[in-house]
Amino acid sequence: MYELSSIEKEYNKLMSGFQIFLKMPEISVGTTPHEIIYTEDKMKLLHYIPTVEKTHPVPILMVYALVNRYYILDLQPDKSVIRKLLDDGFDVYIIDWGYPSGMDRYLTLDDYVNGYINNAVDIVRKRSGLDKITLMGICQGGTFSIMYSTLHPEKVKNLITLVAPVNFDTQKGLLHVWAKNLDVDKVVDYYGIVPGDFLNSGFLLTDPFRLMIDKYVGMFDRIECEPGDDACQIRNEEIVKNFLRMEKWIFDSPDQAGETFRQFMKDCYQKNLLIKNKLELNGKKINLKNITMPLLNIMAEFDHLVPNEASIPLNDAVSSKEKEMAVFPTGHIGIFVGSKSQKEVCPTISKWLTPRSGLDEEESRGPEIKKTKRK
Amino acid sequence: MEETKLESSREFFDMWVKTYEATLGKITEIPAIGPSREKSEKMSKGLPLYFNLYSTWMDTVVDFQNISMEAMKRMNAKNISLEDKTGTENYKELYNVWMESYSETFKEFLKSGHFSSDMGKFMSNFLDVQKFNRDMLEENYLKPSNLPTKSDIDEVNKELYFLKKQLKELSGKINELSENK
Repeated sequence: MYELSSIEKEYNKLMSGFQIFLKMPEISVGTTPHEIIYTEDKMKLLHYIPTVEKTHPVPILMVYALVNRYYILDLQPDKSVIRKLLDDGFDVYIIDWGYPSGMDRYLTLDDYVNGYINNAVDIVRKRSGLDKITLMGICQGGTFSIMYSTLHPEKVKNLITLVAPVNFDTQKGLLHVWAKNLDVDKVVDYYGIVPGDFLNSGFLLTDPFRLMIDKYVGMFDRIECEPGDDACQIRNEEIVKNFLRMEKWIFDSPDQAGETFRQFMKDCYQKNLLIKNKLELNGKKINLKNITMPLLNIMAEFDHLVPNEASIPLNDAVSSKEKEMAVFPTGHIGIFVGSKSQKEVCPTISKWLTPRSGLDEEESRGPEIKKTKRK
Repeated sequence: MEETKLESSREFFDMWVKTYEATLGKITEIPAIGPSREKSEKMSKGLPLYFNLYSTWMDTVVDFQNISMEAMKRMNAKNISLEDKTGTENYKELYNVWMESYSETFKEFLKSGHFSSDMGKFMSNFLDVQKFNRDMLEENYLKPSNLPTKSDIDEVNKELYFLKKQLKELSGKINELSENK
């Protein structure tokens, strides 16, 4: 009898979960108020409306990866990295890479780093009236920001990297292991624009049972309400909404510009040139020793995509006098989403960045900004 | 993990192709066959590609079957006792043990150089077949219909890319000059 009633309870839980799914309105992501201040091809530069009267003088430009979308940093209003930084008094900008199409297949790493990022940096410098800004790179965007900072150190006041790989010769992350055997030329020559779904299948395969079965089971398991408990029902709806937001982000994978994918996979994942200071962008050598600005390197202890081994060597490779490393007990995504992100990661960034976001003596004398030529 | 290869099938297939080319296949070389000779030659090149894909696919299937068996063995070794539990608790415990055993065993396998190398071969063979199919589609349908092929589109995209790049450089220079005035 007891068994029957417990099965009935589980069944009701499942059905109420389905009911919530069926009634669910359109979920929204990236809701923090912002304006688009610059566009170039598919790229957009977003400026978030400050939430404090007086922001710290030095603005932050965030650079996200080409894989997946930037709005993971602003996935849900109550747990948004961007909102938290705004509330802590920062002036925040972010690059939205958009969705590359066939026309973009010939875009190179140089176009991204010395083209789009450089132009975005110049716009932010011009708007702030400062020579240097804070660059915050996330995941692959962190690797791009590192490359950028070596070539344009005069424009970067502070560099923050979040779960960004720089040493690709590790056996700890599955992507690093698999990339060694991938015939990158064949992939790019066939597809031209590398399908996002192709890459996404790779991410799902890193932990297939947990990512394709367990997380859905876990979601329904969290739904627990007695009939008539309205407060609990609202909580359930929030759980489902947040779950769907994350699902939307996971499967929102833009295609990749073929030539960029080719160089990134071959030079970084297969030859590991970046940490050896042998990587070149359009003939210009990337030397990590050129990084002299303060550096904060943030990692996730249980990162299955960018293992700590891939990020730690950055601190020894740069010339910065002020350099710090912070490792949080969470996963790759947990750095941007969830309570750890809000309670530990964001406060660490703010605490480190606030004293470094004021005006230098030279800057407080008045701005003298000239748009520097693309190197 | 035990290696499973379809070497003998591959050897048999290679032998069959060689025999075919030395006997019946010779017919396609007769000049009287004329224009269709080139086409049939191109088409016959697809056969080994399909076979390679099939054999690497079978290797992968066998690998996954073996690893599933290994996961099942590990799960049984955990020797869970469900006797004192009620209905859904039984299910939950069984599910958790199943998830843990399968997830960990598969992750170990996916991390191995064996999987990585097989997956690399599979992808490579898959793309060979895809390319062959596309080439055949272009050859047999698009070109005769005077429709643009992938390489035609790529050519236009390349041209556009360099034009845009040049335009950006020129605009940059103009802006710089006007700012310096």
